[in-house]
Amino acid sequence: MAQVVSAPAPAPQARRAQWPPVLRGFLWAAIGFVVLNTIVDIVDPFRGHPFVTGPSATLGWVGAVVGWLLGVGVWEGVALPLFGYPSRWIEPSTGWRRYFAYSTDHKVIGLQYLGSAMGGFLIAGLIAMFMRIELMSDHLTIFHYPTNYLTAVGIHGTIMMFSVANVALLGGFGNYMVPIMIGARGTAFPKLSGISAWLVPAGILSVLFSPLLGAWTTGWRGYQPLASQDPNGILFYYLGVAALTTSTFIVALNMVTTIMFRRAPGMTWGRLPLFAWGQVTVGLLVLIWIPEIQATFVMGLLEKLVPFNFFTATGSVLSYLELFWIFGHPEVYIIAVPVFALWNEIIPVMSQKSLFAREWAVIGLVFVMLLSGLVWAHHLFTNMRNSEILPFAFFTEMISIPTGFAYMAAIGTMWKGRVRLTTPMLLVLMSMFNFLIGGLTGVFLADPVVNLQLHDTFWVVGHFHYTVIGSIVFTGLAAVYYWLPKMSGRMYSEFWGKFLAITLFIFFNATFSQFFLLGLHGMNRWVPAYPAYLQPMNFEVSIISFFLGLAFAGQFVHIIWAWVKGPKAADNPWDARTPEWFTASPPPRENFPVQPEIVSSLYIYGAQQPVAVQLPAEEELAAARDESLEPEGGSPHE
Amino acid sequence: MESHRQEGILFGVVWIILSALGEWAARIVIRHNPLYYTASNIGLMVEHAFDFIVVVLIPVFAFVALGIVWAMIRFHVKKGQRVELPTQWARTNRWFVGIWVVGTALINILFVLHPTTTATEHFFAIENPSTPQNRHALVVDVTARQWEWIFSYPQYGLTQTVNRNGQDLLELPVNHVVKLELRSYDPFHTYDQYADVIHSFWVPSWGIKEDVIPGETRTLYITPTRITSYAQNPMSRVQCAEVCGPGHPWMEAPLQVVSTAAFHRWIAQQQALQAHP
Amino acid sequence: MDNDSKETPEEVSASASPEWSRRQFLGGTVALGVVGAVALLGRSTVVDAARGIFGSPVRSGRVPLYAYDYYYVPNYMTWRVGDRMDIIFQNQSHTHWHEWTMGRHVNEQYFQAFGELSADAWRVDFWDGVPVTLSDPYKIDNFVPHDALVTYEGPRSLYNIQSGGDFSPTLKPGGSLHIAFTVPNKPGIWDFGCFVQEYVHYRTGMRGKVHILPA
Repeated sequence: MAQVVSAPAPAPQARRAQWPPVLRGFLWAAIGFVVLNTIVDIVDPFRGHPFVTGPSATLGWVGAVVGWLLGVGVWEGVALPLFGYPSRWIEPSTGWRRYFAYSTDHKVIGLQYLGSAMGGFLIAGLIAMFMRIELMSDHLTIFHYPTNYLTAVGIHGTIMMFSVANVALLGGFGNYMVPIMIGARGTAFPKLSGISAWLVPAGILSVLFSPLLGAWTTGWRGYQPLASQDPNGILFYYLGVAALTTSTFIVALNMVTTIMFRRAPGMTWGRLPLFAWGQVTVGLLVLIWIPEIQATFVMGLLEKLVPFNFFTATGSVLSYLELFWIFGHPEVYIIAVPVFALWNEIIPVMSQKSLFAREWAVIGLVFVMLLSGLVWAHHLFTNMRNSEILPFAFFTEMISIPTGFAYMAAIGTMWKGRVRLTTPMLLVLMSMFNFLIGGLTGVFLADPVVNLQLHDTFWVVGHFHYTVIGSIVFTGLAAVYYWLPKMSGRMYSEFWGKFLAITLFIFFNATFSQFFLLGLHGMNRWVPAYPAYLQPMNFEVSIISFFLGLAFAGQFVHIIWAWVKGPKAADNPWDARTPEWFTASPPPRENFPVQPEIVSSLYIYGAQQPVAVQLPAEEELAAARDESLEPEGGSPHE
Repeated sequence: MESHRQEGILFGVVWIILSALGEWAARIVIRHNPLYYTASNIGLMVEHAFDFIVVVLIPVFAFVALGIVWAMIRFHVKKGQRVELPTQWARTNRWFVGIWVVGTALINILFVLHPTTTATEHFFAIENPSTPQNRHALVVDVTARQWEWIFSYPQYGLTQTVNRNGQDLLELPVNHVVKLELRSYDPFHTYDQYADVIHSFWVPSWGIKEDVIPGETRTLYITPTRITSYAQNPMSRVQCAEVCGPGHPWMEAPLQVVSTAAFHRWIAQQQALQAHP
Repeated sequence: MDNDSKETPEEVSASASPEWSRRQFLGGTVALGVVGAVALLGRSTVVDAARGIFGSPVRSGRVPLYAYDYYYVPNYMTWRVGDRMDIIFQNQSHTHWHEWTMGRHVNEQYFQAFGELSADAWRVDFWDGVPVTLSDPYKIDNFVPHDALVTYEGPRSLYNIQSGGDFSPTLKPGGSLHIAFTVPNKPGIWDFGCFVQEYVHYRTGMRGKVHILPA
């Protein structure tokens, strides 16, 4: 398992203490930006702006990202060895510092992704609170200008989609759990993966600080031709999203390859854990559609910088939206498929019952993936020719059938099971309920004539917050609670977990269910000012949403408390059968002391079921013997 | 097996009761118009489609939600209870899977047929330009520019209709077919025809929204069925629904639907205004 | 194998590499966070404070004034009564026309409203009675002289002179205009802004201030 670059033990006293990698990353990023920005200014001076222009900021950004990545440790970890220079980079295998530097351990990378996603969620959530404060009144209050509000909407949506929804379950739990769940002792591309984790903070910060270059008004789609009229802030939208989507792409590449080639002996495709199945299907979606949207964003960027008139004179005004949504709808399933998979990962464990209709659950995931590329134009019913509507309405309605299989498997599994209503189980059930409402309100939107009324109103906003928060955030929290004992070796408080989950559920539903009514009553999207008759309901929604914000904050406080101070957890507190529960908590550097073998199905429960994961005993003994010869805490475990 | 059947029957009974209650509540909602306010022929069509979907979805919602709640109430392990597992769990159930797969397929096919296809075909029929009533429609050119709706009535020679404050106004006769020609460009600044962006023509009380694309002309035939105005119900307004820059929230215009006689009086007044500004 | 690695934050492995400082890391990140928050939210406050402390240099002679979507560069100027000004007003937008009006007291109420309300422009127009010389017109959308005493250099047709509203040169995308005048005896703070497209440019921040010092 020599997947990590090997480094000789250096003489410690010979080195002076180095900068914290993150701070060095910021410094090098600043240097990179200034250098490339200045070069562009020299080559291409521009009247009006003395220093930072559109082209200079774009190339400066590239310099900043390269500087950032090198600064956080890629310089010693990858760049120097790549060019044959001696590197004394040593990756710590314990301690909190390893989370704040480049790492090749997929568990560290997973937690870096989870941390970034959580940071992004808090930032974008805080922005949402500001938006709700603004919407408490029918005219501009805390936002000075409408552009500021629209920029806030865009930053909120972009960070939530590209750095939370795409990241938490894929980069986060995918990186951390999938290799362990398939009995692997590492991932296929550890270095690439280590680099890509650090693209997420770069992307979040680019989008967050885009207003420094000017406000942008397009929302999370960055749509042309409007984007070309916006000031240069839109450039950092395109660039930040480029970093974030590249990161997601690398995650998918790594996950699909790892699942294909690094499964443990006996881990057949038929035995593959559902969450790994979810990662494969999502990985394929990402590998197909992310390059498509990146190409679109590059065109959008050039359209703004040059301009090329791709979306006006030489092209069609609608091309951008078509290109965006051809990715945009698979994106919804990039978010939702791992969620469906997690439901059916957690529910059999918590019900101690064999997964019901497993093949249908897998078929559901695969068919959702296949159909997801055929439905995009339902975002464009108001844009497109009437004659093009019906096929998309048909596929859109059909996709609810495979989606329903996830529910069928879940309900069938719980039926007459031994359902333990732990916090993760409760959150999964809440997530199913929320996504149900998200799905059913989607039926109205799939119907073309109803869509012509509901499109671009708060009905749509309510619908996608139910599907996205309802799925990824509730289930993501369920996954955090479910795997907390695995990742930290500690247990959360069952009382606080449940209390906070119920609070969250109540305030979430109280907030977003009213969005449907607002939409029906004529509240349209992207408006910081609106007719006065909508003000009382908006005011009340805002008040409830502040409690929702508190409920989220409470969850994070509780999780961090449990991670640091929670009581010690048992090795397999849920009596689960999947491989990640057959190693220490937290797992060692290479996940298992020796290569485990899978000897029976992971989802069949019963009184006399054999343990599915076997660690060959003599090899384990041998491994332990080897280890005892090593000096205490000696060289890394390559 | 026997206990499964009993449990299933109990579940079914509760589901039917809940669905019936839900349908009863839906009747009340439908009577009060879930769309709040509908004032055009297309709006009525949307309302019927909406109501139909509500009626069909209530048992679906009740089934799945009850499935979730049922597991929490009926199958949960009580505190301190020892979990005893049978040697073998049922891993599938032909009837349940079969009914689920066929049932969801049937519901979806139903929705595809009605209201999706029927209502869309009805909509196409309304939008057919060659029907007799559409050929005699009142033509209104609706021009969207950043950030203003401009209405002109070519049949009456009016280039821009405004209210007392000089703001753009769309005024129409009730129960008469209107042909709206939607374009996105700036009639006062024509030096760059690509300067404008996508807007979306939306009248909330009409139940219809049509994007206005630079370089394209979209046509919308619609019949207002109620005398209404922005003052009477603020859902009677022209509102841009697609974000189009900083002025997007204020890109709205009042709508007045009046009797035919009042409409002709208004036309005469606008013509006088245009002749002597 | 650190199978027993129940890590605590303080515990570090006996790895040979020197550890970077925790204090430096926390301090540095917090400081960067503060700088970032100020840069994002407090720029105008910082700029105002700096202007209060260091003042703003008096401009005279040739001053470029750029119009972008939707802001001016510069958006704050200090003039002195009696100085000779040569404002080169230049529209840098690719898509939008922009104007330059200057005055006092605008009906802010209108900008907040939704529905039927009539707008008005400056209650006091800075250019009332001011002698102005216009030259080098390029891509002029229109020009409203209002009550200014305007001298036109070159053919008048290039200026597309119209009536209605305040003194307002309006430029097409890429257009420019040379506005020459002597700062009149109207000291104090004056606002300038672009009112085109239903006042939305002004509403979304296309505005600035001129501080006129007495001679």
